[in-house]
Amino acid sequence: MELKINGEIRNVDVEDNMPLLWVLRDELNMTGTKYGCGVSSCGACTVHIDGVATRTCTLPASLAVGKEIKTIEGIAAGGQLSAIQKAWIEHQVPQCGYCQSGQIMAAEALLDSNPNPTDEDIDKSMNNICRCGTYQRVRSAIHTAAKWRAEETTLQG
Amino acid sequence: MGKWTRRAFIATGGLAGVGLIVGVAGVMHVKSAIKKYSGEGMGEGASLNAWVRIAPDNTITMAVPRAEMGQGVYTSLPMLLAEELEVDMNQIEIIHPQPESPYVNTFLLDPNPRRAYASYSVMATVAAFMPVVGTGGSTSVKDLYDHLREMGATAREALKAAAAEKWGVAVEDCYAESAHIINKKTKEKLTYGSLAEAASKIELDFNPPLKAQKDFKLLGKRIQRLDIPEKVTGTAEFGIDARPEGMLIAAIRHASVVGGTVNGITNEEEVLKMRGVKKVVMLEDGIGAAVVADNTWRAKNAALALDLDETGNTLENVSSSDISKMLNDIVSDDSKMIATPEAHGDVSAALGGDAKVIEASYTVPYLSQCTMEPLNCTLVINDDKCEVWVGHQGGSLVRDAVNAVTGIAKDNIKVNIKFLGGGFGRKAELDYVKKAAMVAKQMPGTPIQLIFTREEDMKNGMYRPAVASTFKGTIGADGMIDAWDNRMALQSVGYSSMMRILPAMAAPPKDDPQSAEGAIELPYSRNNVNVQFGEMDLPAMQVGNWRSVGASQNGFFTESFMDELAHLAGQDPYEFRKKHIEKSDLPDAPRFLAVLNKVADMASWSTPLPEGKYRGISLLKSFGSIVGQVAEITKTGDKQISIDKVYCVIDCGRIVNPDTVEAQMQSGIVYGLSAALYGEITMDNGEIVQQNFPQYEMVRMNTSPTVAVHIMEVDEYPGGVGEPATPPAAPALTNAIFAATGERVRSLPLNKLGYSFV
Repeated sequence: MELKINGEIRNVDVEDNMPLLWVLRDELNMTGTKYGCGVSSCGACTVHIDGVATRTCTLPASLAVGKEIKTIEGIAAGGQLSAIQKAWIEHQVPQCGYCQSGQIMAAEALLDSNPNPTDEDIDKSMNNICRCGTYQRVRSAIHTAAKWRAEETTLQG
Repeated sequence: MGKWTRRAFIATGGLAGVGLIVGVAGVMHVKSAIKKYSGEGMGEGASLNAWVRIAPDNTITMAVPRAEMGQGVYTSLPMLLAEELEVDMNQIEIIHPQPESPYVNTFLLDPNPRRAYASYSVMATVAAFMPVVGTGGSTSVKDLYDHLREMGATAREALKAAAAEKWGVAVEDCYAESAHIINKKTKEKLTYGSLAEAASKIELDFNPPLKAQKDFKLLGKRIQRLDIPEKVTGTAEFGIDARPEGMLIAAIRHASVVGGTVNGITNEEEVLKMRGVKKVVMLEDGIGAAVVADNTWRAKNAALALDLDETGNTLENVSSSDISKMLNDIVSDDSKMIATPEAHGDVSAALGGDAKVIEASYTVPYLSQCTMEPLNCTLVINDDKCEVWVGHQGGSLVRDAVNAVTGIAKDNIKVNIKFLGGGFGRKAELDYVKKAAMVAKQMPGTPIQLIFTREEDMKNGMYRPAVASTFKGTIGADGMIDAWDNRMALQSVGYSSMMRILPAMAAPPKDDPQSAEGAIELPYSRNNVNVQFGEMDLPAMQVGNWRSVGASQNGFFTESFMDELAHLAGQDPYEFRKKHIEKSDLPDAPRFLAVLNKVADMASWSTPLPEGKYRGISLLKSFGSIVGQVAEITKTGDKQISIDKVYCVIDCGRIVNPDTVEAQMQSGIVYGLSAALYGEITMDNGEIVQQNFPQYEMVRMNTSPTVAVHIMEVDEYPGGVGEPATPPAAPALTNAIFAATGERVRSLPLNKLGYSFV
C-alpha cells in the first residue's frame, strides 16, 4: 500500500485493516505517534489526514491511501519549530510528555481551522486525555500560539 | 510509590544485622563499594565523581539516576549540581546511569537528608550492599538536595585547584563561572574541559562550603525543563519506543480471573498461522500466555484469538459487593483492629458523655494508576548477557528482577531507563519486567518488546486499595472537637507491594505506616483521639502504590469529617480549622496555619460568592509538604457541577524550580479530581469490570479547573512535590458540593452518586 506521510511516499506491505498507528510505529519506526487505548478514546495517536485531526489507533491504513498524512515528525518543517511547539515550550506544557504528540496535532488542526479559538472552542475540540493534567497549560499555549500565528501572518502579509 | 522500604527495614532488623557484618574492618571496603560506578554512557572525558563527567570540548555530562515520569527530575537534579558546579543549564547533557551504588536512594530507607560530606551512615552502608536505585515517594529532591550540591562544590574546587596549579597561582585567585575557571588578576580563562583530567586526580582535604540562598543563580528560579524540547517534537524516547534491531512484539494475555492460572492454549496451531506470528509462549507458573509477532497489532489480535485453558482462584466468587461487606465487617469490629497509629486522651469516655455524637462512614474504591503509556518492557538475551529498555521507577529493581528470572549475572545486565509515560507507582512494580524476561528467555538473541494492551493493563493492576473509614466525633461546650475516633479497613499497600518487590524486607500490615498517612498527625488540636486500622485479608487482589498512597484516601476522609464537625458546631469550615490549628502543639502548626490562611486569602474566603457558586476547603500534609486548597464550583443543574477554579497553596520548604512545583500542583489536583469524579475499579466474580477509557474516565480539558498556585517561601529542608497536591483535591471539591447541595459525599466516585460535570 502506498501512503503519503509528511510529504514523502512510503510503501508498506500490510493488511488493509491494520490501523495507521501501527503502520507508523511498527512498520516505519515513526514512534512519535503514541498508543494509549486502541479504542479512539484518549487521542495519543492523533495525526492529520488531509488536515483533519484523526485518531489512528482504529483507522484502517487503507482509508488513508491517497490522502495527505501528517504526523508529529512533520510539524517542525525544515527543523523550524511551529508556533504551537514554541508556545508549548514557552508555557512549559509537557510533563511525562506521552500524550503531547497527540495534543499538539489536535491543537495544530484546531488553529488551522479556527485561528483564534475561544476557551469554549478549545473545550470542544481538545478532547485528548492527559494523565498529568496539563490542560491549563495546553489552553494557555494554544492562545499564545494563536497570537504568534496571527503576528507571523501580519509580518508575511 | 510511597516510603515503602523505610519502616519495613527497621522492622526486620536488617539494618542492625548488616551493620554487624560490616564491622570496623570492612569500612574501607564499604567506602569503595559505595563509590563504585562504571561511568557507562557518560561519553568522553574525565569523571570528577559519579555524577559528572567533563569532556575536552567542555560538554558537561551529568548522571541523573531518577526516573523522569513527568515530575521534572531531569531538570531539578541538574539544577542542584549546576548551582555549585557553576555551569549553565544549557551546558549540561543528561544520561540515565546504570543502577549503581552511588545512585542509591537512601531517603527510601532513611528519611534523613543525605550528606556527601558526612561520614557514611549505617544506611548508606546498607545501601552499598543492597542498592535500591529508585524513584518514588516524592523523594528525589529530598534525597539529593544537599548531596548533589556538595558533589558540585567538590568538583568545582578540584577544577579551581587544577587551574591554580597550571597557572602557578593560589586557588584563592581563581573563580568559577559558566564552566570556566577564571584568573582573577589576569582575567585568563580555562575551560572545565581542559582541566577535567587533572582535576579528576585531585583529592580535596576539605569540604567546600555551600552557597547561601541569597547567592543562588538557579535554585528558586523558574528554569525551563531540559526534557521539553524533545517532548514537543515527538523525538523523546519512552520505553515503548525502544526499537533494537530485529525486535519482535509480545502481546500478553492473562487469565480472566485476576491472578488466575493459564494452564495451556487449545488453539496454538491456528494462532501460529496468523500473519506475522512467530511464536506462542506460555509464561512460567501459568501466569499468562503471549504471542510474539512482527507488529503490535498482529501480536495483539493473535493474543486475543488465543483460547486459554484457565483456572480461577479464591477470587472467582468475589465481587465488589462482597469486598464492601468484608471492609464494613472489619471496620465495625473492635477485635479486627490490628494497629493504633495514634491515640491520646480517652475517646470512649468522651463519646459516652452528654455531647451529641456524630458518626460517618466513608468508602472509596480500588483505583488504577492508569499511566498514559501502557505497561511494556523490551529485553534481549545474548548468551550470558542481557539488555533491557524500560520506563521503570527502579533501575536496580529491574536488574534484580531480570537476574531472578534469567539467572544472568547482575553485572551482565544493562538497564536503559527510558522516559516514563507516567509512573504513579505502577511502574515501581516488576510484573511487566519479569514477564518480558520470561518471553525473551525463550527466544534468545531476539529483542522482545512485551506489551500489555490498555485492557490487559487495566485488568491486571496493582490497585490503590478499596477502603472503608468510619468516624465518631463530638464537639465540646467550647465549640472545639472533644472526641475523634477513626477506624479504617483496607489492604496494606506496603505489605502487598514489598512482598512483590523486596520480600525479605516486607513488614507485616500492622507496621505499614502508609495505611494511616493522612489520618494521623493532623494539625488540629483535639482532646481525645483514637485512630486504628484493620487489614482485609485478600492477597489474590494485589494492591500497590498509587500517587500519594494512603494519603489519597485518608485526606478525603479526614478533611470531609472535619467539615462535618464544623457544620455540627455551626462554624465556618475555614474558621473551624483555623481555631483548631491555633490550639495545636504540633511543631509545624504555624506552617499549617500560614498555608490555610494564605489559601483562604487567595480565594477571598470571607467574601460571599455570586449566586449559584460555592466553595470548599481542605488542608493536608503528605510527603513532607503542606498543601491547602479551595475548590470553587458552579451548580449548573440538578447534580450537575462545573469545577471552575482550585486555589492551591503549598509549603514545600526550600524551592528548587518553582515552575515545576506549580506544574506538580496542577497535575496532582487533576489526578485527584479524576479519581473523585470517575475513578473506580470494580470486580465481578473475580473479573475486573473496567477495561479501557470511557469506562475509567478522566478529567479532560472541558472538565478541568483553572488552578491558581502559591508557593510559600519557607527556609526549611525541602519536602516532596510530586504527590502532596493529590489528597486535598477530592475533599475540597466534595466540601464545596456539600455547600452547594447539602449532600455530604461519603463515597467516591461522584458519577456513581449521580453527579455529572461540565
